[in-house]
Amino acid sequence: MTNTTAENTTEEAVETAPTTPEGAKLDYIKVEDFSFNYTPEVRVLDKITMDIPEKQVTSFIGPSGCGKTTLLRNFNRMNDLIPGITHEGTIHIDGQEIFDKKLEVISLRKRIRMIFQKANPFPKSIYENVVYSLRVAGRNNKALLDEVVETSLRGAALWDEVKDRLHDSALGLSGGQMQRLSIAHAIANQPEVLLMDEPCSALDPIATAKIEELICKLKNKFTVIIVTHNMQQATRVSDQTAYFYLGKMIEMNATQEIFRNPSCEETERYISGKFG
Amino acid sequence: MEQPTESSPGEGSEIILDDSRFDVSRKVLLTDGFMTWFIKFGGVMVVAAVIGIFVFITSQVLPLFKGASVELDAATTTTEALPKGNYLGIAADEWMEKPLAIRDDGKFIYSDLVTGEVLESEFDFLEGDKMTALRIESGEDLIVAGTESGQVHLIEFSYSPTFKDGVRTVNEDLNLAFTGEFNGPVTKVSCGQSGDSRLIAVLTETEEGPHLELDLVQRKKSLISAGDWKEVGKTDLTETLRSDVAVQEILVTNRADAVLVVFENGEIDYHFRSGSGLNTELRQTFQPFADLNEKKIKNADFLLGDVSLVLTSPEGVNRLFSLYRSEEEPTRMFHQTKEFPALPDTPAFYSPSFRNKAFLTGTSNTATLRYATTETIRWESELPWEVTHALISRKSDSLLFLTEDRHFVRVPVDDPHPEAGIKAFFGKQLYEGSSEAKYEWQSTGGSDDFEAKLSLIPLIFGTLKGTFYAMLFAVPIALFGAIYTAEFLDPKNKVFIKPAMEVMASLPSVVLGFLAALWLAPMIEDRVPSVLCIVVLVPLGAFLFGMLWSRQPRNIKKYVREGYEFLYFAPIMLILLFLGWQMGPLVESLIFTVKDPNTGERVGDFARWWPSITGTAYEQRNSLVVGFMMGFAVIPIVFTIAEDSLSNVPDTLRTGSLALGASRWQTAWRIVLPTASAGILSAIMIGLGRAVGETMIVVMATGNTPIMEWNIFSGMRTLSANIAVELPEAPHHGTLYRTLFLGAVVLFLMTFLVNTIAEVLRQHLREKYKTV
Ligand SMILES: Nc1ncnc2c1ncn2[C@@H]1O[C@H](COP(=O)(O)OP(=O)(O)OP(=O)(O)O)[C@@H](O)[C@H]1O
Ligand SMILES: [Mg+2]
Repeated sequence: MTNTTAENTTEEAVETAPTTPEGAKLDYIKVEDFSFNYTPEVRVLDKITMDIPEKQVTSFIGPSGCGKTTLLRNFNRMNDLIPGITHEGTIHIDGQEIFDKKLEVISLRKRIRMIFQKANPFPKSIYENVVYSLRVAGRNNKALLDEVVETSLRGAALWDEVKDRLHDSALGLSGGQMQRLSIAHAIANQPEVLLMDEPCSALDPIATAKIEELICKLKNKFTVIIVTHNMQQATRVSDQTAYFYLGKMIEMNATQEIFRNPSCEETERYISGKFG
Repeated sequence: MEQPTESSPGEGSEIILDDSRFDVSRKVLLTDGFMTWFIKFGGVMVVAAVIGIFVFITSQVLPLFKGASVELDAATTTTEALPKGNYLGIAADEWMEKPLAIRDDGKFIYSDLVTGEVLESEFDFLEGDKMTALRIESGEDLIVAGTESGQVHLIEFSYSPTFKDGVRTVNEDLNLAFTGEFNGPVTKVSCGQSGDSRLIAVLTETEEGPHLELDLVQRKKSLISAGDWKEVGKTDLTETLRSDVAVQEILVTNRADAVLVVFENGEIDYHFRSGSGLNTELRQTFQPFADLNEKKIKNADFLLGDVSLVLTSPEGVNRLFSLYRSEEEPTRMFHQTKEFPALPDTPAFYSPSFRNKAFLTGTSNTATLRYATTETIRWESELPWEVTHALISRKSDSLLFLTEDRHFVRVPVDDPHPEAGIKAFFGKQLYEGSSEAKYEWQSTGGSDDFEAKLSLIPLIFGTLKGTFYAMLFAVPIALFGAIYTAEFLDPKNKVFIKPAMEVMASLPSVVLGFLAALWLAPMIEDRVPSVLCIVVLVPLGAFLFGMLWSRQPRNIKKYVREGYEFLYFAPIMLILLFLGWQMGPLVESLIFTVKDPNTGERVGDFARWWPSITGTAYEQRNSLVVGFMMGFAVIPIVFTIAEDSLSNVPDTLRTGSLALGASRWQTAWRIVLPTASAGILSAIMIGLGRAVGETMIVVMATGNTPIMEWNIFSGMRTLSANIAVELPEAPHHGTLYRTLFLGAVVLFLMTFLVNTIAEVLRQHLREKYKTV
């Protein structure tokens, strides 16, 4: 049943998303029967199958603890760092199986950037934080770095606040500023996919609006996946929405469709705020 | 705080919700109060103990920096004046209770400083003759007198104490040991002793002019008695005299190996006596005050040890000349080594100390106590009496003056540490027998006239050297080990590393020292090239292997689980280790070759090659061995603390960095290491502290030679090793004892300084890299 809904929605999504550029793949990220365990006893993700289209914004919604972050972290294999994990099924990104032993994880992570739910800047200056991903890629040209710092910080709506103290420690920023800083350093090296885990959870409405504006701008260039607990935000920024519940993907569809006319009862109850 | 009771279910709700739930129980308050005080008390006690130790050590050290104190007010004097007459010399017993003055008519007059009495001795050696020359060789308990009729008498003076009811009485004795015959009236005499013979230098005035003769006398020992002195031979040195200048003074060294002739014009001839016979050669003629207008010498005499000559001009210029061999000279000659502040007037007296390199000199109404090694004035004062003669006591605990009005005055002196002082500990000194100023430590010597060399600089240097080599070896290994363990090793394997390190840390340093001295040092001794090969091969191999490994495509790497790479790495390292060890002799025979003096062929021998190339020594127990072993003691400390601080870096930073596409090494290097830098600095500093204070390993694994060179193949002596080695032999409250404490203070200050700098740096780093 889940499968059929997914297929239906992708077809409709093409119609309802006029912003999708020509030639973009509809199954850019292809998740098939993917299950995931942190410990042998508890299955956190259960047989997830979904296709995420290229150069669109897909939002993941669902109650806390349902596995959104876990799935997101699998896309750039951040879960590798946790000992004892097991998984089944496959995830292809741009036709490439990401769990292939031959795959170079580092370059995967360079292509697929993640912004964490909890911002944690490095104990370095704001400037160095933003250009970190360029530095580790061996790009040290000062003019280039300066330019990247400005465009990234502007993109993350942080430039005006920090332009006079770029060389101060990033640890002196407020929680919301730190969150925008992590967006800035994620977009600095122009990744292909941007995974955003509740990027606006600590932001005021003005900053949130700026971030949403940024996401809308980015989606022509990148594929964006955003996890959010804010239904309005999902409707405002995303083309596709997937609803998760207890480790299962319940429903995925074009955003207007899912909010206007959800096909599952749980989805409707969650969206209308009856639980969650 | 009224709660709606109906909302809380259950019977006991009323009891739960009464106001007592806001009370704090007495027990909690008591425990809290007690613990607060207990911890405060403990803290105060610790601080007090540290301060106590420091105060104690400082109190042991401070007396070293005090000058001499001479209590002129506490002087003891004879009540009676000596009989009228012209007194030529004085001598005294060990306790300075019965000084002796010799009058020009040959009378020996004793004074008793306990009773204040003056008693003229019955002793008469002249038998009607007239005394024309006198010299008192106090160091040899000998009086040498020359007469008008050409006789020279050797008179031994001695004192023997007897105790009755705990009261000491000193009994004097005089004994005419020898009389020699010369032609013409004797004008100057001097005598020295070597073994069983005595060398007497005699200047006589004959019709043809002055005559200088050396007379060798020997004692024929028999089984029953000490035997009598018999003349063995004479030699004439008259030729060396000047026809136009008179001889002012002749001096024979105590050891009878040199005769100095001082002329009226300020020149000195140095005759060296070789062997035990009468062979002498004129080695040097020098004029100590050649650069002054007044070239004359008023006073010339030796310091204890007879290697240095204290010279004073009539104007009071006070110089020290010592025997040493300079580069261009074939033998040891006299050179000026020190110049003391001038006396205010013509010198009236001179007396060397019997214990050290101090001397007492002065004008008729001033006196000064000076110390030759450090070129310092220990004490200086005007005198309330006019003085003609003075003498330092044998124990250096009092001064004896003979005044113009013929009274003996004894003044107590308190100068327990004349050889100490800032200059002695930290300055370069021109020691006797050495041609240049040096930092040198040599606290005890073979003979009584030994000059103490107390410079702490070689010890500080040794401490730094040992620490340097230990850290050079330990820090890279410990830090890279810690980084590997914290960042790359599979956490499951960590559980083996920590206990292994703890075992390593708990090895007593005496065991390490023992291993170093008896196993490592002999093993390395003739395998230095092997060690060098290993030092080159292993890191290089590790580096190449790492590089190759990282270049491997994924499908090769996939066979090795991340965190288990060491399983492949370790065997390669072991093979390299073995290869390096085996390659040593080959490398030695190719590179480190020297010409064998017997066969003339070139053979590989590092132990001889090293000195021939660098000119520095090669010792079996060297800094390399110490570096290894001390490194072994330091590694676990640095490793443990560094590993902890690396592991404490929040994982979110690591994931954050990895998520941005950094490799594990980039993450470790750019994020983890800087974040943990404060902790790593602490680790290095604590390791440094351990190395600086380490004692047993250094004592056992080095030759403990206080040298000052960075040469890795020579040893060292550290401050702590110095304390361990010398404290058992240092007399309580003596100079050496206190100097060792001073070494401890210096060590304390060194670690204090290092720790303070480190702490400031650490705070700075912590501020810079603190995490949210
Ligand atoms: N490192 C971990 N080890 C073990 N279990 C984990 C770990 N991380 C998450 N989990 C568990 O996996 C489940 C899913 O967690 P996840 O973080 O994916 O939820 P989420 O949907 O992102 O929730 P939220 O909206 O609150 O962020 C939770 O039950 C959580 O307790
Ligand atoms: Mg989450």
